[in-house]
Amino acid sequence: MSDEARVGIVLVSHSAALAEGTAEVAGQIGGGSVVIAAAGGTDDGGIGTSIARVRQAVQCAEAGAGVVILPDLGSSVLTVRALLAEEDFPGPVALADAPFVEGAVAATVTAAAGGDVKAVLRAAEEARHARKL
Amino acid sequence: MPGSCEAAITLTGDLHARPAGSLAVMAAKFQSMVELAVGANTANAKSVLAVMGLGATRGQHITVRADGPDAAEAVTALIGILAEATPVGG
Repeated sequence: MSDEARVGIVLVSHSAALAEGTAEVAGQIGGGSVVIAAAGGTDDGGIGTSIARVRQAVQCAEAGAGVVILPDLGSSVLTVRALLAEEDFPGPVALADAPFVEGAVAATVTAAAGGDVKAVLRAAEEARHARKL
Repeated sequence: MPGSCEAAITLTGDLHARPAGSLAVMAAKFQSMVELAVGANTANAKSVLAVMGLGATRGQHITVRADGPDAAEAVTALIGILAEATPVGG
């Protein structure tokens, strides 16, 4: 299993710093074998989302096993949906309904273990039920 | 042959995010159900968030239980990771 391609993770946030920081945390916990691409902020670096940045991140994260995208809030979801409606990617691309940080960590760990898109999506979405305390 | 296996270890460091991640990645590679127990709390070892939610700290006794076709290998692998858990950072 360790030689197979891993599912890639895309983090879509209104803030580049939030997307990059979350990618950094998830990468540390997940052990570094998974591509986590951050797509935060607008094209000019402001607060908002950019369809071009998300497209680039999905292409970057696709290692042959598909991609799971985690949006932070509101228009992040709309931006991802707009991209998926207008573009066909070579592998499966799934949009997760999950808490951003916890979902990113859980998805990365499952991807690192060799889970497929369905398993990674489920791990991200199950993060909603995890208690911290 | 399905079977169950169990082993315990005293933590030499806190079960921080990073070791929790290593544990969950390893646990998820086995077919068996793998569970961690600290006192009365239990967690699915394949869920990194559940493992972190245990809040296990240095000096606590942690039990690894597995049930399934590769239970013994799973317990050995997880005990190995727990033995390396360190008290710094993470």
